[in-house]
Amino acid sequence: MGVVVLGLATAFLVYLFTAGDFGGAKRSYPLFARFGQVGALAQGADVRVAGVKVGTVSKVTLDPATFFARTQLAMDPAVKLPTDSTAKITSDGLLGGAHVVIEPGGSPDNLAPGAEILNTQGAVDLLGLIGEVVRPKPAPADTGAK
Amino acid sequence: MTLAGAHWLTPVRATGRLALAALATVGAIALFAIRGLTAMFIGPWFPGQALRQFIAIGFYSLPVVGLTAVFTGAALALNIYTGGGRFNAEQIMPQIVALGITRELGPVLAALMLAGRVSATIAAEIGAMRATEQIDAMRTLSTDPFRYLVAPRMAAAMIALPLLTLVADIVGIGGGWLVATLTLDFNPVVYARSTVDFVEAWDVGSGLIKAVVFGFIIALMGCYQGYTASGGARGVGRAATQAMVSAGILIFAMDYVLTTLFTER
Amino acid sequence: MSAPIPRLEWKAVTKRFGGEPVLDGLNLSVEAGRSLVIIGGSGQGKSVMLKLALGLLRPDAGTVLLDGKPLPGLAGRAQRRLYDRAGVLFQGAALFDSLTVWENVAFRLTNADGVSPAKARIRALAALEQVRLTDAVANLYPAELSGGMQKRVALARAIVADPDVLFFDEPTTGLDPVTASAINALIVDQVKRLGCTAVSITHDLASARVIADDIAMLHAGAIVWRGRSEELATTDNRQVRRFVDGGA
Repeated sequence: MGVVVLGLATAFLVYLFTAGDFGGAKRSYPLFARFGQVGALAQGADVRVAGVKVGTVSKVTLDPATFFARTQLAMDPAVKLPTDSTAKITSDGLLGGAHVVIEPGGSPDNLAPGAEILNTQGAVDLLGLIGEVVRPKPAPADTGAK
Repeated sequence: MTLAGAHWLTPVRATGRLALAALATVGAIALFAIRGLTAMFIGPWFPGQALRQFIAIGFYSLPVVGLTAVFTGAALALNIYTGGGRFNAEQIMPQIVALGITRELGPVLAALMLAGRVSATIAAEIGAMRATEQIDAMRTLSTDPFRYLVAPRMAAAMIALPLLTLVADIVGIGGGWLVATLTLDFNPVVYARSTVDFVEAWDVGSGLIKAVVFGFIIALMGCYQGYTASGGARGVGRAATQAMVSAGILIFAMDYVLTTLFTER
Repeated sequence: MSAPIPRLEWKAVTKRFGGEPVLDGLNLSVEAGRSLVIIGGSGQGKSVMLKLALGLLRPDAGTVLLDGKPLPGLAGRAQRRLYDRAGVLFQGAALFDSLTVWENVAFRLTNADGVSPAKARIRALAALEQVRLTDAVANLYPAELSGGMQKRVALARAIVADPDVLFFDEPTTGLDPVTASAINALIVDQVKRLGCTAVSITHDLASARVIADDIAMLHAGAIVWRGRSEELATTDNRQVRRFVDGGA
């Protein structure tokens, strides 16, 4: 019994530290996408088409020249996407569950491995929006009226 | 009538007696702890005994600690999911589960299971040895019971409990992960990553420091209650119960004290 | 004083439990090489006398002297010197249940004297042979032995390091008469062989007569009679007569 517990704990520990590392990326091809804002999108998050998972986010880095977030997506080789597809970051919940949704375009050509999705839409800063609704910034005209 | 015989003084006298008895017990335990620690740090040592105790305390406690941790992690995850849901923040669940397990529940749960399992066993073992004059016999055989019996148990518990806590941390987080992915539709990889990225070394480290202290408490109460047991078989049973209860209470008290210290950092 | 210094001496020893004196200014001594048996009824403080002599209890007043030197405190290094020279047979044998028979016998050798396990085992087997136990029991655990066998093992443990002083606490209690007399014979044998001083406490007169050179009677916290073993039958001391005749 003790050995079983030790074994399970070790296995889960290894899983914790290796999950989301697609170093080899054996059965996937990479795509790239740039977003102005990734929000809560994390490594390992889903990439979905029409709600179906077709890949994972394998890397999120900052492009130091443009200050855009550059994401690398590990895609299912069976799924070929048209070159004019759009990548969007959406959330399941208010604060997290962020994932990438790809809306396929109509182009006859498909994105080659290593290509970049050019049409993107970053994460919406929901909390920022809420904050503006809850505590609206005073209009410039109001400042003097007080 | 003299003052000493006055009836209205009876409650005062009773309170005084209780306070003195409590102080005497605290003092006796403190002295016992000092003798035990001295024996632990200054030889001669009995490494064979320490190893035997380490296996008995550490290895054989793995199943009970693992089971407790996995269920607690799972229940904790559900509760935090409910709580988070009240302000649409279910997604921070992995982080809160990880924090709660590593800083608090891992060490405390492992310690409590050991308080029940190990503290009572130690008290019964040493108490039985006391009742059958084995401890006296050991002293007449030129062997210090503090070095042969107490120090190895203290050392073993102080090493075993942090290791068990580490296992409890992992398994507890695993319990949360299981519930989150199987019933709450969390992404398993994201859950794992957010846990690993969020947890800091100090979260785990502070839990391990707690575990060392708890291990000491468990061995100390077991040894003390057993060593001072009197009154035959009933005394041994009483010692086991008292070891378990006093170790449990001391663990909670020390947990609060240590958490306060760690929070003010 | 030209009299030889006694090996062990209780000098004006008083011991109280909860205010009640159990021993009250007790004086007694044993010369080297003699076998002294302390007799007396239950609850008269015989065990306390023994525990005081072993340093397991501390007297409230008076001292216990070993070779004319007072026994040190409970945990002194000098106390080791007493224990290194003493062997004790406890009432319930007090064998360590987690250790095998030979490990019990060799306990002092391996844990205090730093003898290697192999050598300790040889000496333990020799000691077991002295108490007429064969190698077959060496690897058993104490719980697998009968009461009489356990007493023998405990005796082997007491004599394994060739002590100068042997203490026996109720050596025959709980044994049937045949086993008891076998144990008595073994005790006499070993005390003779080692030429050591023996101090025993017992309420078993038959045992006392066999073991003792000298007999002392403890009553109400003091020694009320002391004499040679054979004088026990003829003395007209009231307490002794009551104990002897009432018991016989």
